[in-house]
Order: sequence, then C-alpha cells, then structure tokens
Amino acid sequence: MELLAQFLGIEGARMIVGLIAVIALVSVNALFLIWMERKVAAHMQLRPGPMEVGPHGAIQTVADALKLMGKELITPDEVDKPIFWLAPIVVFLPVLLSFLVVPFSQTWIIRDMNVGIVLILAFSTLPVLAILMAGWASNNKYAVFGAIRSVAQNIAYEIPLLITVMSIILMVGSFKLSDIVAAQSQYWYVLLQPLAFIIYITCGTAETNRAPFDLPEAESELVAGFHTEYSGMRFALFFLAEYTNMFIVSAIATVLFLGGWHGPFLPGVIWFLLKVYALIFLMMWFRWTFPRVRFDQLITFAWKILIPLAFANLLITALVLKLR
Amino acid sequence: MIEYSLEEKTYTLNLGPQHPSTHGVLRVLLEMEGEFITKAEPVIGYGHRGHEHMAENRNYLQFLPNMARVDYLHALAFNQGYCMAVEKLMGLAVPERGEFIRVITAELNRISSHLVWLGAYLLDLGAFTPILYCFDDRENLLDLLDRITGSRLTYCFFRPGGVPQDLDDEFITGTRAFIKRLRTRFKDYDNLVTKNVIFINRTKDVGVITKDQCVKYGLTGPMVRGSGIAYDIRKSEPYSAYPQFDFVIPIGDKGDILDRYVVRVREMEQSLRIIEQALDKLPNGPIMAEKVPKRLKPAAGEVYQAVETARGEFGCYIVSQGDIKPYRIKLRVPSFGNLSILPELAVDTLVADLVAILGSIDVVVPEIDR
Amino acid sequence: MLIDKIKQALAPLNLEVADGDYAKTGCHLAVAAPPDQIQGVAQAMLDEGCFLESLTAVDLRESFDLVYHFANFSELCRTVVHVPLGKKKGMPSLSAIYPGADWYEREVFDLFGIHFFGHPNLKRLLLPEDADFHPLLKDFGASESND
Repeated sequence: MELLAQFLGIEGARMIVGLIAVIALVSVNALFLIWMERKVAAHMQLRPGPMEVGPHGAIQTVADALKLMGKELITPDEVDKPIFWLAPIVVFLPVLLSFLVVPFSQTWIIRDMNVGIVLILAFSTLPVLAILMAGWASNNKYAVFGAIRSVAQNIAYEIPLLITVMSIILMVGSFKLSDIVAAQSQYWYVLLQPLAFIIYITCGTAETNRAPFDLPEAESELVAGFHTEYSGMRFALFFLAEYTNMFIVSAIATVLFLGGWHGPFLPGVIWFLLKVYALIFLMMWFRWTFPRVRFDQLITFAWKILIPLAFANLLITALVLKLR
Repeated sequence: MIEYSLEEKTYTLNLGPQHPSTHGVLRVLLEMEGEFITKAEPVIGYGHRGHEHMAENRNYLQFLPNMARVDYLHALAFNQGYCMAVEKLMGLAVPERGEFIRVITAELNRISSHLVWLGAYLLDLGAFTPILYCFDDRENLLDLLDRITGSRLTYCFFRPGGVPQDLDDEFITGTRAFIKRLRTRFKDYDNLVTKNVIFINRTKDVGVITKDQCVKYGLTGPMVRGSGIAYDIRKSEPYSAYPQFDFVIPIGDKGDILDRYVVRVREMEQSLRIIEQALDKLPNGPIMAEKVPKRLKPAAGEVYQAVETARGEFGCYIVSQGDIKPYRIKLRVPSFGNLSILPELAVDTLVADLVAILGSIDVVVPEIDR
Repeated sequence: MLIDKIKQALAPLNLEVADGDYAKTGCHLAVAAPPDQIQGVAQAMLDEGCFLESLTAVDLRESFDLVYHFANFSELCRTVVHVPLGKKKGMPSLSAIYPGADWYEREVFDLFGIHFFGHPNLKRLLLPEDADFHPLLKDFGASESND
C-alpha cells in the first residue's frame, strides 16, 4: 500500500485499490444476486429453487458461470463484427465506472466528486447505446425490435428519473453524494418526498429493463430480444451488466431517499448494503408478480403520467423550499 | 432471407413454428408496418399425423386411443364424443352410474385444461408466476384422475357402452378435498390477475369478436360465450347426465379478451359445481352396458355427435358401412374454426396484441392438424 | 320452430328435404342438394342465423359425397346437407357466404383433391405445399391392416 502510494500518490493508490475492490464487488454481487433472484422467484412460485449444488444451491451460480465460460463463442455469419463484439463491453463499462462515486459508508468512497450524481446519471444512459449496437449488429429482426423498444423505453423513462433526482438536489443544494447522505441525518428523504421515491423506483425498474418493463427482452414475444444472437460469455456480460445496473439504481435510491449509510448500531457499510438489497428484492418481487405492459401503454405511461407527476413534484418542492 | 426494397413499406416477420407463445407447432406469417400488423396468415399442418386416415384402417375400439392424441388437454371429452357416436350407431345405452362417472371425469379434465390455458396465457403476457400455481393445482387433479383412468394426460378411459373402471372411495374424498382447495385458490387468482391493472389494460377492448363473426366463422365455445351468445352444448343439446345438474353458462358482453378470460375462469367454477352435484347424486349400479359385443359392428348409417370441450364443440361424424372398421370418420375440432378468425382479428394490432389474442383463442394445434 | 323456418326457406330451391332421426343420426333435418344449389342452401341457412358446423367429404369410390352440417346458436336444429359429386368435378365455394368455410374447403381439397370454384386461396392446408397426393382417397396406397 505504501509502495503504491509512493509511486502514484494517495489518490492514485486509492483508485487502484478501489478498482480492484469494485471488480471484486461486482462479481460477488452478480453471483449473489443471480442466486437470490432464483430463490426469490422459486419461493414465490411455490417451489424450492436450486438446492443441489452447495447448501441451498449457493454455488449454483458459480457452476453456471463456469459453464458459460466454457461455451463456444458463436458469431453468426452476417453480423457487423466490430459492433457485435464491442456491444457487451460497452454495456458493462459505464456501469462499472459508476461505482467511483457511490458512498458505501462515511469513508468508503473511491472519489467523492462534487458532480457525483450527474456522473452516475450520465453513465447510466450509455448502456442504451450498447443495446442498440447489439440489436442492430445481430442482423436479426427480433433483435432489432428489442433494441428499438429499449431505446424508446430508456429515453422515455430517463426524463422523470432526472426530474425526481432534481427535486432531491433542490433540497440538498449539492451534487455531491456524500452531502446528500449527510443531509439525511435527521429524516430520510423518503418521508419528505414519497412521490419522488415511487417515481424513482418505477423509472429505475424501467431503466434496467426489468419486468414489468422488460419488453426489450420479452421472451414470449421476441424470443430473446436484443440479445437473441448472443451466447456464452458475451451473454454472460449482458447479464452481469443488468444485475450491476440494478445494484447501482438501488444504491442511488438508497443514497437519495433512504439515508445512505445512516443507521444505529451496525457499521455504515452494512446498513448501506442492507438497504440496497432490500430495494433489489423489491424489484425482483415486481418481476415475479406483474404481467408485462404493452409497448404503447409503456410509453404512454411515461410521457403522459410520470413526467407531469415528476414536474408537479419538482414545482411543489421548489415552492415549499422558497416559502420556508 | 429477406429482400429489401426502398419502395416497400411492409416487411415479413415469421412467428414460429418454434416460438414460446404459439402453443404447439403453429406458424403465423406476419406482414408488418413498423410494429403494426397489416396481414397475419396462420400456417398449419406441421403436426399432421393422419388420424382420419388411421380411422379407416382400425376397428372402432382400436381407434379410441387416437382421440386422446387429437386434443391431449381435454382428452376425455373427445373420448366421450367418439364413444357416444359409436353408441348411437350401435344403439347402446350407457347405465346411469357410467354416465355420472363420465361427467365427473370429463369435468375434472375440463378444469385441468383451463388451468393449463390460464397458466400459459399469463406466461405469454409476461407474468411468470401464475403458471406454476396452476400447475400445482393441476398436479392434485392429475393424481386423482390417474388413480382411476391410469393416465395423467392422454386418457383412454371411456368405452362404447360405459366406463371400464369404477370410482373408489379414495377418489371421492380426494375430489371433494380438491374442490375445496381450488375454490380458495380462485380467490387468489382473482386478486392477483383479474383485478390487476396491467392485465386489464392488456386485455380490455382487444380482439373483439362480434356475434356476426361468430356465425360466419362457425366459432364455438368460450369464443362465442365471451361475445354474449349463450351457446353451450351441455345446455343447448344436452347429452349424458348433464340435464340432471344445475349449472349456469357464464357469458360476457363485449367479446374482448377480458370477457373470454372471465368466461373460462367462471366455467371452472361451474365445473366444480357439476362435480359436486354428481358426487352427491352418484347412483349405484353397473358402469358398463350389458351385451356390448367384443367386435363392434354397427349397422350402416351415419351419425354426428357433438360434445362441449374446453375449447368449443367437438363433432364426431362417423360413416359406417356395416363393417368392423369405420368407412369415414371426420373429427370436427373447435380450434380449427376458432383459429380461422385470426387473420381478421390481427389486422392493425401490435405483435403484443397478437400474442394476447392468440392465447385467448386457446388453440391446441395438434387438434387442428390431426 | 326453427326446423319449419328452415324448411320454408329451402322450399323455393326444390330439394329433397326429410326429417332426420335425431336419436340415431344426430341430425334433425336431412337435405340432398346438387352442387350448383349449395350456395343457395348456404345463403338460406345464413339468413336463418345458422352457422356452418362442419364441412367434409366422403369418398364413395365411384363418386364423392360432400357433407355439410349446419347448426344454430339459439335453437337446437342440426341440418345435414349431402351433395353428391362426380369424380373429377368441382364444387362452388361457400367462402363468400361463410368465411369460416375457407379452411374447411382447403382441407377437403388437400385430402381429397376436390376443387372449389371461387375460393380465394385454394392452397393445401395440412400437407406440405409440394405434396402431390391426396391421402383420404380410397385408392391411395391403403396397406393391409391388422384386425
């Protein structure tokens, strides 16, 4: 550690260590989340889920990952090769970089930038580009369909997301994530802005292409949507990106609404993780309960209902702050 | 291979024959403009096995197992239609206990078919959980039927003249327990599905079938009942022991998908009523007619027997020329007519709607292909 | 009574109409019609609100017998119409009157080779498009069967 500090300076060392920690976290998180999803789904469907591999199927995901890594990387003939190969990487990297500014606890934050929230929101838009790349390059009508739907959906749901985040920023007065957490030492913002919380969770679920907004991957309509032609490790990267994205969305919701790492007795990082995983459980609960919305209803819902509501929330917040 | 041209505004998309939502090997050729469908043409025949030809080369009893392979989900109704047609030709009368057993098992089978439809339909709409609940209920039911018929799915239980195996006490107590359990489950389905806003938005005012279309296309079953026509062969052309039971025919009013959905769910409840009454009134006596010849040799003639299956009317048309093998058997299956309306319903809808409409027609493709 | 209304509607066509033995054959009314009259019969049945229940053919070796079944949603009355057809002859199509007849006629064409004039899309339905045989004909490769 001291050696690294000598060569790169404190900040550099911090970044390297942070990067390694993040990669480790992302992998472990994905492993855990996939197992959790399967168990949650199973118990909601009155069955036990994976039980064979390891105690209660705990190592099942490892087995699946090993299997995926051993699979042949099939590239269909007529695909646009450079874009086809780049797409899984582009979908994964921005999400990874978002971890730079997430405050796991008071001190566990890799780089507390003063534009923290803006950085994350900017990076969370990039995976849409990757989905479009994947769909287009696959040279498959179903894939293009899925990609087009995904782009329209993401654009539509990005806007209410940004507006609700603005409502919180107005209250805090800073883009820095640690400031936002610190401002919630008295009351969590979910109590002061319940509507914003609901809108944020809805949009977050839509941003990560989770059910009931999972039209881009709608299995029963489009076979597998934009990743129809992907198999093996490339498919695994899409999956990894989806679960990591879920983590980021829940992490931001925790920071903005649930008081970040605040909590009695236990260390901050434990509280943070508990809140994040509670929100992820909520997203999983949605998936296994609701049917899928139809595409035009999805877009209508975003433009005609969520955006006006988010604007109204912003106006009321501004008004209340002004009058105080 | 797709050919592109700058002047073309529509493109062709192929739904199936391997597709998670087409309930069998069905292919639908879609011509689309963006996400809207301009033309839909079902292509069938991938599962044609030549059942009607087989009928001409087997004697009457040997052909009986084929009926279960035509519609595997409501096999007992097909058993019943065929056996009743042969009985009409031979002039056999089934004793009362035999009729009651036929009704009880056929109604249980109807419930199991509707449960499969319910689960698979909601899976098409994106809800992953109800199918597992439905199949859980169905396990119970299949175990009951397995006890006396010997099979879980493709039943070959009825014989011309009656049924070969009687019910035992364990079956009766098991069925009563099942009825109680399913009634509480219906409340769950109602709360989770029927009242779900997303589900209602996907199914209300979609795929509307008018009464005129019902007549012109020869639709039967929940398709016409959803549109407000109270046509159920168990009431309109009563057969077997049905006149002795008190049940209603649920009908819808608009003819959209939601109406058909509600009709089928209510039908399951009515089937439970019929089974309850049948178990209460079950008479003692023989289960098979006396003097059924070993070699069935009906007199020359023709017969058309209609029964109500889970999908609509199954009509068994037999032409006999006095031989031990039928001269011609025509199986009039409900899904055949019901699917032929799809091209008209699909115009100007989205693919998501097409999947919803196709599910609401409740096709079993093997019976269309025979 | 529906059966009388149907008899009345069919009267101008001058066909052989007889009461059927429902207990034995499942039909209330039996009609025999020549091929050129079938469209008139179908129109009369549609006007009475009956639907086309089934459409099939029987190969009687020397000729065909086309069998049409009509039923009604509101009142029980099944009418069977037998149309004798010579081999190598065609039938008028009912698809203009009953769109549901479309697929039934395609199936009969597929399995028997009977041609339907005026059908919008007379392609094979069940067999592959390039098949060159009609399997339900009695002289189609029937092998020795077991007893």
